[in-house]
Amino acid sequence: MNVKVIEKDLMDPLAEINEVNIDLNHIPHDFEYVTLLDNTKPGADVVLKFVEENLGKRKFNWVKKPAGAPATIKQLKKAAESEIVFLALGDCGSCSSWVILDAIRLEKMGIPTISICSDRFSSFAHELAKSHGAEALNILSVEHPIAGLSREEIVKKTLEILPSLRYILQIP
Amino acid sequence: MTDKSKFTKTAENCGCLIEDLIETKKPNSRLCEVKPNDIEVFVDPDPEKTSYDFYTRRMTDGLPIIPPTKPRVMKFLDYTDRNSDEILTVLPPRQGKAVVEKIAVNSVMAGCLPQFMPIIQHTINAISNEKFNLTSVNATTHPVGICMILNGPISREIGASSGTGCLGPGNIANATIGRALRLCLINIAGAVPGVGDHATMGSPAKYSYTFAESESESPWEPLHVERGFEPFTSTTTVMAVEAPHNVNDHRSKHAEDLLETISYTLSTPGCNNSHVPGEILVIISPEHAKTIAREGWDKMDIKNYLHKNSVVPVELGDRGGRKLDKKWIVGDGVRITRSPNDVVVVVAGGSGRHTMIAHSFGTSSESVTMPISYKDGTPVHSVQDFKQKIRK
Repeated sequence: MNVKVIEKDLMDPLAEINEVNIDLNHIPHDFEYVTLLDNTKPGADVVLKFVEENLGKRKFNWVKKPAGAPATIKQLKKAAESEIVFLALGDCGSCSSWVILDAIRLEKMGIPTISICSDRFSSFAHELAKSHGAEALNILSVEHPIAGLSREEIVKKTLEILPSLRYILQIP
Repeated sequence: MTDKSKFTKTAENCGCLIEDLIETKKPNSRLCEVKPNDIEVFVDPDPEKTSYDFYTRRMTDGLPIIPPTKPRVMKFLDYTDRNSDEILTVLPPRQGKAVVEKIAVNSVMAGCLPQFMPIIQHTINAISNEKFNLTSVNATTHPVGICMILNGPISREIGASSGTGCLGPGNIANATIGRALRLCLINIAGAVPGVGDHATMGSPAKYSYTFAESESESPWEPLHVERGFEPFTSTTTVMAVEAPHNVNDHRSKHAEDLLETISYTLSTPGCNNSHVPGEILVIISPEHAKTIAREGWDKMDIKNYLHKNSVVPVELGDRGGRKLDKKWIVGDGVRITRSPNDVVVVVAGGSGRHTMIAHSFGTSSESVTMPISYKDGTPVHSVQDFKQKIRK
């Protein structure tokens, strides 16, 4: 008599991903109006000021939003008044989340975006964008940490993203 | 050879007849000549091996698990009126589909009893409420856990502890329901430490953080009634808070003295509340509750007092390099709550003159209370109602 002992199958605890796909907007070849969306994290204003100073003569629209929460509709509408939006700074879990998710909200409104996160959180930011259907979202990485540093130290770190920034914007 | 038409087949896919088997007299001969095995014995997977395998695939909290076999999972599905493949919600950051069956699988792994399923299922709904901001709660570097406060008859039916040691070890409901939620966050939401959960150090409160309110010991209306539910409606309330911090006060004889001790303990500069004011959780022990209530103070009085007096003075808050956020400074301090309603008061615990406080994630997350109900919204008064409804 053959007796076979069979181990019962185990059920998988992992969830399937809710697949979505967002159409991202092309960065315009030329643009005049730029929104700098500051999530008020320490150093975010310095990073965005650096961006402002390196974009030449354009019109800048500064908007503030909460760090660990979504931008309000009013903040989002104000940000969307420009042709392109820069968001900073994702240098922790919750602020990176809402930099990316607010960027996606803006993309859905037809506004191209460039998000800036610190390198410790940029892989998470990319994964988050991917899970929300925006794998190709523009995300620039600055060296972590930014908080707790002097203005000069932050500028020095932000300088390193300048080539990538110019590449995305197709600025020679 | 036996007339096969007279007998019942032993198995549809093999065709052997009971009579054939009985007539087989040769020792050590096969019972069935068609199938490769005469008998198949199904055994549970080894818990040690399963735990280690799941652990290496980052699907646990590090503790051993109960192997989630189908028979075990099926028992949990008896306690829901939803289809097993129904998607309750989508959980961030991974955007995992919170399918009923997946919630049951994770609950089995956590060591829950099947009767706990309605609480866990409705808690998943609660955390997906937009105002809870699960996106941030999961991903933050802050050591925030998700505290579950159970109210109503189902909390008593399942034996959740509201008494001595209710925030500690020793009760299966308290220990495993919160753990089931954490496993759902890991495996459905993707809140794997370092991947989707970026807490700098995490917290013991992330393992399990569940208790029931001691409604019979409370001199005031319980949390769910305060939030508009009937006393016999059962609810689960989720709150994004840090691990609890003790307030030892064996000496206060008056309500105001005791509340002053509590407010001073709350008013610390390093907490999120002093930077981004929001809710606080105050778990008052029955003895402390009596001290406060005997002078006629109700819950609203407590909320008003703690909101007004839980203030981090600018002098203290700005002593180091952190600096308080100017927009929250009123006069010479920052109130750690935005309004009296941010003070969430419940009664729990055993004998002793201790109260627990927990600072929250702050401005960007609000607690949510969810009734345990059928799919159509009708409240359920006993977990057994789900089984009866299914039978109908």
